Amino acid sequence: MPDARRLGSAVVALGALLVTAAIAALGLWLGGYDVGDAAEALVAGSVGGRDALLSVTLVRGVPLVLTGLAVALAFRAGVWNIGAEGQLYAGALAAAWVGLAAGDQPAWALIATVLAAAGLAGAAWALVPALMKLWLGVGEVITTILMNFVGIYAVAYAVHGPLQEARGVFPQTDPIAEGARLPALVEGTRLHAGFGLAVFVALALWAVFRWTRAGFSVRAVGASPAAARISGRLNDRRVMLSAFLASGAVAGLAGGVEVAGVTYALYEGLSPGWGYTAIAVALLAGLHPGAVLLAGLLFGALEGGSGAMQRAAGIPAAWVSAVEALVILAVLAADQAWRRSAALVGPSREAVPEGGTGA
Amino acid sequence: MTLLAQLAGVTKAFGRVKALDGADLEVPEGVVTGVLGENGAGKTTLLNVLGGMVTPDSGSVAVGGRRVSLRRPRDAWRVGVGMVHQHFTLVPELTVLENLALGRRTSRWGLRLGYDALREEVAGLVGRTGLDVPLDDPVRRLEVGERQRVEILKALLKKPRILILDEPTAVLTPREVDSLFALLRSLAGEGAGVVLVAHKLDEVLAVADRVTVLRDGRTVLSAPRTEVDALTLIRAMVDTERVDAAAVGHGADRSLRASVADSSPPVARLGEVRVRGSRGEDALRGVSLDVRRREIVGVVGVEGNGQRELALVIAGRLRPSAGTVRLPSSVGFIPQDRTAEGLVGSLDLTENVALALHREEAFRRGPLLRWGALEERTRELVGRFGVRAPGPGTLAGALSGGNQQRLVVARELHVAKDLLVAENPTRGLDVAAASFVHEELSFLRRIPDGPGIVLISSDLDEVLSLSDRIMVMVRGALVDVPHTQRSRQFVGALMLSGVHA
Amino acid sequence: MPDAAVFTAFLEAAVRLGVPLALAALGETITERSGVINIGLEGSLISGALGAALGALAFDSPTMGVLVGGCAGLAVSAVFATFVVGLNTDQIITGTAITLGGLGLTGAVYQARFGVTGTALTLPTLGPVSVPVLSEIPVLGAAFFHQAPTAYVAYVLAPVLWVFLFRTEWGLELRAVGEGPSSAEAAGVRVRWLRLVATLFGGLLAGVAGAHLALAHAGTFAENMSAGRGFIAIAVVVLGRWNPVWVLVAALFFGAASALQFFLQALGMDVPYQLFLALPYLLSLAALAGWVGRARAPAALALPWPRSGPQP
Repeated sequence: MPDARRLGSAVVALGALLVTAAIAALGLWLGGYDVGDAAEALVAGSVGGRDALLSVTLVRGVPLVLTGLAVALAFRAGVWNIGAEGQLYAGALAAAWVGLAAGDQPAWALIATVLAAAGLAGAAWALVPALMKLWLGVGEVITTILMNFVGIYAVAYAVHGPLQEARGVFPQTDPIAEGARLPALVEGTRLHAGFGLAVFVALALWAVFRWTRAGFSVRAVGASPAAARISGRLNDRRVMLSAFLASGAVAGLAGGVEVAGVTYALYEGLSPGWGYTAIAVALLAGLHPGAVLLAGLLFGALEGGSGAMQRAAGIPAAWVSAVEALVILAVLAADQAWRRSAALVGPSREAVPEGGTGA
Repeated sequence: MTLLAQLAGVTKAFGRVKALDGADLEVPEGVVTGVLGENGAGKTTLLNVLGGMVTPDSGSVAVGGRRVSLRRPRDAWRVGVGMVHQHFTLVPELTVLENLALGRRTSRWGLRLGYDALREEVAGLVGRTGLDVPLDDPVRRLEVGERQRVEILKALLKKPRILILDEPTAVLTPREVDSLFALLRSLAGEGAGVVLVAHKLDEVLAVADRVTVLRDGRTVLSAPRTEVDALTLIRAMVDTERVDAAAVGHGADRSLRASVADSSPPVARLGEVRVRGSRGEDALRGVSLDVRRREIVGVVGVEGNGQRELALVIAGRLRPSAGTVRLPSSVGFIPQDRTAEGLVGSLDLTENVALALHREEAFRRGPLLRWGALEERTRELVGRFGVRAPGPGTLAGALSGGNQQRLVVARELHVAKDLLVAENPTRGLDVAAASFVHEELSFLRRIPDGPGIVLISSDLDEVLSLSDRIMVMVRGALVDVPHTQRSRQFVGALMLSGVHA
Repeated sequence: MPDAAVFTAFLEAAVRLGVPLALAALGETITERSGVINIGLEGSLISGALGAALGALAFDSPTMGVLVGGCAGLAVSAVFATFVVGLNTDQIITGTAITLGGLGLTGAVYQARFGVTGTALTLPTLGPVSVPVLSEIPVLGAAFFHQAPTAYVAYVLAPVLWVFLFRTEWGLELRAVGEGPSSAEAAGVRVRWLRLVATLFGGLLAGVAGAHLALAHAGTFAENMSAGRGFIAIAVVVLGRWNPVWVLVAALFFGAASALQFFLQALGMDVPYQLFLALPYLLSLAALAGWVGRARAPAALALPWPRSGPQP
């Protein structure tokens, strides 16, 4: 890939972060909060110390990295999967179900089954909008969003009904079998093997995009379905379907990892909107899998530090969603500014695929 | 000679591309002015300046003796400039009448849509000009010739003193061209200033009173028609050396024409192929075609007679609804729209080469692509075919149109071991780039074991000068042109035989 | 068999729940007709709800609440329009960000103003107003014509917008902008300006829809109370085939789907309520699958304009 594109992505990302930080600080100041205290709490709560870093930031980052990868994968293929949230819930539901029903299999087999079930469930959740897109021509944007709500209510139904804990008090499941849980990565912290999995998936995706025909097919179809079909003799519909399902699987995996690595149980509101934050993560990373890893952890730090900010400076936790939205908008604006200043013919980077939209 | 409009020293740059670099244009009253120039010379941009579609960076625009600033089309109408664009500016989903009503405020607040007055006005105009169109049909159901008439009606409804037409003849049949030119002459007779950009030199010579030539964004010649001849104009349009090079290229392949062996088995064969078109009717209606190695089969026709579908089928990109298709394993395809189908602008040159080569064994290892080998091959192709680019890492979208086409041709020639399908391969290219493409095609035909070539084009001259065999595509069917009848007149008449004017 | 009173109550709930969808979808119809798809509608809706709550409390007047709510929705759509019309950014991604930001910001403001665990807020409500004569119609009258004033706004707006779209020059220009912006510009239509106005109009109505939700339906504000209605409204536009009158019908149909739970509870049927909550979304999906083949979106919908890069 040409240096211009990589440089463009980096400039855009850094510019966007600076703008976001400035506006977010301004917003806090206007809201009457102490910006200095807030920043201090944010840093302390996310990277200030071993525990904050390992048990908070990295742990919070795992689902963001995975869903971010799911979104990046889909967007690279020109598929507007806004449904990572629902796919994550589907994955979490499947993981909890398998984890609860587990017998006395060896732990490695059980964990593999749990994660496979989560991935499959996520893919299945993506299958509905994928088929509606390819068979019926219904744009995937609205359908994936609608599937998010269906996923959330499906989990709500499960934890109020068939999967509710034996005590029947809270709308949550019993803890999953010990053997179905992901082992700790660093003793004494909450950092679990799912972190390693997220890093692995990021590197694997990076390698796939960089080196394989499959990855090249996805990039070509995403950049121009017509050229991929006519000049590349690629089956653009099949490539889109595969990318859509793979994206769903990775998002589903995020849900499975969360259940098997952190909560050990399923409950309503498991995700604070990771599937949507993932869009900010993917865009900030310029849709590069390696950069998604960094961006995901950055957002993990933000979400991790927000708790400390609430405690120390009284800043509402919902403020984080607003900041995430700001990041997306700042990336879009910075991307436009970069394109104009570079005055290149045609697009200078791949943050936004060309061609059709899912509307 | 009263001047209706005068543009002087106009410059305009799009990004790094300088489209206009000090261009001048005079529009006299009662005169048809022909504007000539190669692709990219700046004709359309210059006329868009007068039409209010493009704001110039510098230079002056005067209409009726007064300096004006035309920021949008509406400003241009106000001073009496009407424009018929090269690309249709009609909204397909709206009816003809709605399209004509668009932008014409008749009620003060835009709160009423009164068609009655408009209908009457259009009827009067149709009576005067003979531009008959179905007013209540959606534009998408109209044929190209009818759409063109709607465009002209739309411009005339604004009662312009200056009427600009940007390549209006490209999509018209000869009969439609004749009646259009008659209309333009009569408009000029009524005192209008008509400015016409035409693709073909002879068309401009046939209708214009004055001729203006642009080259590289500058006006290089402006004279009454009576004072110039075709050769002068061509010399003004292009660099002389390039003209000579093009002429040599054509001469060379003509001398080798008769040498094709007709006895070899065909490398590609279509049998009674049918394809259903987008409008539900048959786009191809039982087409049979054999292509042998080392021959160029030229397929010519008026746009929209099924050439697009034929190209896709014989290139293996479209499965027909009926009939048999036998194609060799390695088929090269040069699609007519290189920016949308031939290349991906946001990928670099190596990746664009990989687009067509990723299936070949030499460039893959298991599921992996051998990027090193691909980059090597790209370097080689770029060098051999004279693609002007900094390196294989350049984005394809950053290349000029001619260089993009060179890249596509280079790549597809490389792929086409057995068969090459070229669809309007020189459309939109300047003379130098077009003659490059022609040379490569006729070179391919001379090498031993060269591929069979199908040249599908709406440019009759291109097909006549390159092809061993010529077929005419009329309403989804192929008609053979006998060797003895290979004349412009005969083939031209055949092309139009199925077209209702 | 349920008696007429139960049926009337069901219809009343159907209309009450359908009105916010109708308002948001009617606005989005106009927005989409101009070639802009506003996925940020949800953000306008929730902001409208919070704006209405704050306005109604501040002025102790539900009418002022609706006004402030509408303005809040409009302000959010102004941010969206600045990006997609002004900067020509991708509509889908921008809209998603606006929704995310709208939900986050309203949550943050609400938490800052009323506390994190705040007990349910009680707002001055927008009470039903009876239309003389019409509300006397048996069964239907009480359901359709004993509603909050915002419902009547929706009833009136649907035909008015239809006339606007298909019988006025402005409407013609708007449709042309959505079908072929370059052609429209060549005809002298101010494309970006119309897109801006259409987007702001959509935001205003989404804000009013949010106000209806807070003041006429719930009587309170809660975080995320819009619950995806902005997205359902976009599906409603497709089902209504971008025609305001059909959009109103489709919205009321979805209102009925949401009201079904009360009806079936009244019938004494024991079905998990999460199923009912998911029903409008499932119904939207099913309807999109079954319907979309026959509907055609404006040709330029969601496409940036002008296209980037130098013009030939």
